[in-house]
Amino acid sequence: MSEQEIFDGVQEIFRTVFDDDSLVLTRETTADDIEDWDSLEQINLLVAIEKKFSIKFKLEDVKNLPNVGAMLDLVKRLAG
Amino acid sequence: MPYTYLITGATSDVGAALIRRVWKPGDIILAQGAGDLERLEPLRALCGDSLHLFDVDLTKEAPLSDFIETIRREFGAPTHIVHLPALRVINTKFRNFDEQRFLLDFNVQVMSALRICKAFLPAMMKAKFGRVLFMLTDYLIGVPPKNTTAYIVAKNALRGLARSLATEAAPAGVTVNCVAPYMMETRFLTDTPDLIVEASAAANPMGRNARVEDVVPAMAFLLSDEAGFISGAELPITGGARY
Repeated sequence: MSEQEIFDGVQEIFRTVFDDDSLVLTRETTADDIEDWDSLEQINLLVAIEKKFSIKFKLEDVKNLPNVGAMLDLVKRLAG
Repeated sequence: MPYTYLITGATSDVGAALIRRVWKPGDIILAQGAGDLERLEPLRALCGDSLHLFDVDLTKEAPLSDFIETIRREFGAPTHIVHLPALRVINTKFRNFDEQRFLLDFNVQVMSALRICKAFLPAMMKAKFGRVLFMLTDYLIGVPPKNTTAYIVAKNALRGLARSLATEAAPAGVTVNCVAPYMMETRFLTDTPDLIVEASAAANPMGRNARVEDVVPAMAFLLSDEAGFISGAELPITGGARY
């Protein structure tokens, strides 16, 4: 799976979870940039990503993800 | 004195464990499930003929009415009512609130408890003894989590029922209590992603979710003779997470 496909899929999930079709992610986007992005929405994002890419996160891997870029890298590593 | 336990949602992990915990020879267990009564068959080895199983769809009014009538006709009023059932929690934003499903859950959680209590509480009060116990959730303690509106509304209604009945039944020596456990690792979580279950465990001060064996002894206590002066309580079983 290409990086672009992962990016597009993750961005789509962000738009759905935060109900904002105009939301544009960058690798540098953090929870500070999206008002509703709290720990619960973080879990909702991760669960939706797991489902979309048929992967399974470990809690310790996702506890300290600093930004979207780290999230994308993790998805790429797990999705192959 | 032998007791008659009417337990709705008895086929849950908590229900089955509670029967094991409280049953003693002479007691009668009236256990309701919905399409899953086989889960209670192993209890026959313990309870024998005193275990009576009822397959009742609590989402609908007619089967519940038939159930209540059968109990009334064949067993009379129970001494203990334990109400456990709920549909699975749907985690969704309020804009996606599904009214139809909410009403089904409301029937299961609230209306069935209300009708069962309406049918039997007066007789329990006349007998000057009784225990009623409802299953709540620690989501009701403090600020509720986001995206669980349907569950929170139904559980709050159930809490309101418990509190009202506790006030009314106390002079007759009938207690009405609730337990409010932290996320419990049971079959109820079948549809809940592992990540959510793990995150919940990690967020608990004791580093884990609740287990059936944390909750059932507390329930057994609230149902016991010794707990006769405790009514209107909502007991948090949360490992210190909420209280």
